[in-house]
Amino acid sequence: MKIDILFFASIRELFDKEKISLDVKDDILTPSELLDFLSKNHKGPWLKLLERKTKIRVAVNQNIEDWSFKIQDGDELAFLPPISGG
Amino acid sequence: MISIQSESFSVEHISNKIRAENKNIGAVVTFVGYVRDFEKNDGKTLSCMELEHYPGMTEKVLEDIEKKALKKWKLSAINIVHRVGKLKPSEPIVCVAVASQHRDNAFEAARFIIDFLKTEAPFWKKEITSNGDYWVEDKDSDYQQKMSWSRTEENS
Repeated sequence: MKIDILFFASIRELFDKEKISLDVKDDILTPSELLDFLSKNHKGPWLKLLERKTKIRVAVNQNIEDWSFKIQDGDELAFLPPISGG
Repeated sequence: MISIQSESFSVEHISNKIRAENKNIGAVVTFVGYVRDFEKNDGKTLSCMELEHYPGMTEKVLEDIEKKALKKWKLSAINIVHRVGKLKPSEPIVCVAVASQHRDNAFEAARFIIDFLKTEAPFWKKEITSNGDYWVEDKDSDYQQKMSWSRTEENS
């Protein structure tokens, strides 16, 4: 399935990218599993993201969801660093 | 009404617009958040603040907060303006304006909206200082203030 991942703020700087599109194996069901897979296979910034996991929130299609939320083909995913508006 | 914009805003203009567009308003409460002109313990000074957001999601989150406030209190209008881009010290960042017939509702709702905005709306601030650039971390006190609203609900 195809998943778009958006990067913001400190995470955008970590990846030096605003967005990537990935072809994800269908046995990956959740953002948590996706991050585990990417950090194991691609390391680099993904490993750093995994280290910061407890401080990061996940948005799927622009809604905050649990790490165990089921992702689907065509979803827009974003790993959000700690927010600081206002 | 929700506006995410790079240009500055006038609180008076926002308040006047609300009053021109709505009848029977007895109170308008406005909260304005500014970029603090500060010097930290290590002597670094802030030259500017860079604000970014998640376009689309930000508006969705703010609309949801607006809806919650309208359900909770009898209000005439809500206007949220939040700036993005480069802001200098002492410039305004955010305005929450709430209008109602009587002041209590407007006061409470304005506080509710800014408490939720600070912990749920996907904005990020970066301090550009004389000593390097830093992403601003979220604060426990902001989450505690948001949590106090659910405690209020449980007790009511």
